[in-house]
Amino acid sequence: MFKELDPLLHSELRLAVMSMLLSVEEADFVYLKEQTKATSGNLSVQIDKLNEAGYIEVERGFAGKRTRTVCKITPVGVNAFENYVESLKSYLKL
Amino acid sequence: MENKQLNEKESLELIAQMIRNTQKKMEKGSGIPFLIWGYVTIAVSLTVWYLLGKTGNQHWNFLWFAIPIIGFPVMLLVLKKKKTTLPKTYIDKIINYVWIVMGISALIPSMAATVIHNFPVLFLVVLLISAGTAMTGLVIKFKPLVVSGFGGMLLSILCLILRASLESILVFAALFLLVQVIPGHILNYKSRKNHV
Repeated sequence: MFKELDPLLHSELRLAVMSMLLSVEEADFVYLKEQTKATSGNLSVQIDKLNEAGYIEVERGFAGKRTRTVCKITPVGVNAFENYVESLKSYLKL
Repeated sequence: MENKQLNEKESLELIAQMIRNTQKKMEKGSGIPFLIWGYVTIAVSLTVWYLLGKTGNQHWNFLWFAIPIIGFPVMLLVLKKKKTTLPKTYIDKIINYVWIVMGISALIPSMAATVIHNFPVLFLVVLLISAGTAMTGLVIKFKPLVVSGFGGMLLSILCLILRASLESILVFAALFLLVQVIPGHILNYKSRKNHV
């Protein structure tokens, strides 16, 4: 029986963001943008969706004079990610 | 990268690739905290050594507290000015905690030394700071820090042997050169090279 794939994670950009956040303590918006090569607008929208689902936390602050957005995965996000990988494994028969 | 749907295989590949990408390069200027604490400690040590030798007045020992008084604000200023977009990893977190614990541990013998006569404060401070350097080196897998850290731990005994003499202060300063300043410069050099 195939498990359903979480639609929030089963999209290229959101999955890339979650994968990076899983292996670091926190990451800057600029860093995520560089790594994913996404546009700021698109990345912002996808980050907001993950934030609304409670998968990530977003902190907006200042670093010197410029604004800084920092993203961090939440325990809910880690759990969702683990379930997603489990579902993938069932599809790929791993 | 866009918002397209992936097949299952592509998803797994993307996860693996993104995790690989976060394997962090050494951050430029990684050695700066080592250099700040190293140079401040050496400068204060030499000043105390000179003044104690010149006057014999033990009150000059209170000058040791200039190390945290100068070191902390300079560190805060540098951290505030730091412009980095690199992610903060769990390794960064561990290193921060190591130095918070070591810094506080080094302050306690310094306070004890103000009330206990002939307390081996220099020995304990060098031992703790060298242990911090060795732990940092082991965590980030950087050999020069490991070697200088363990070297400092071993040589800290010199401060214990010489603790009744003024020379122990010179040994203390020399050991800070070994466990903070030299590894700090090596770290900066390596991190600069990684970013070229």
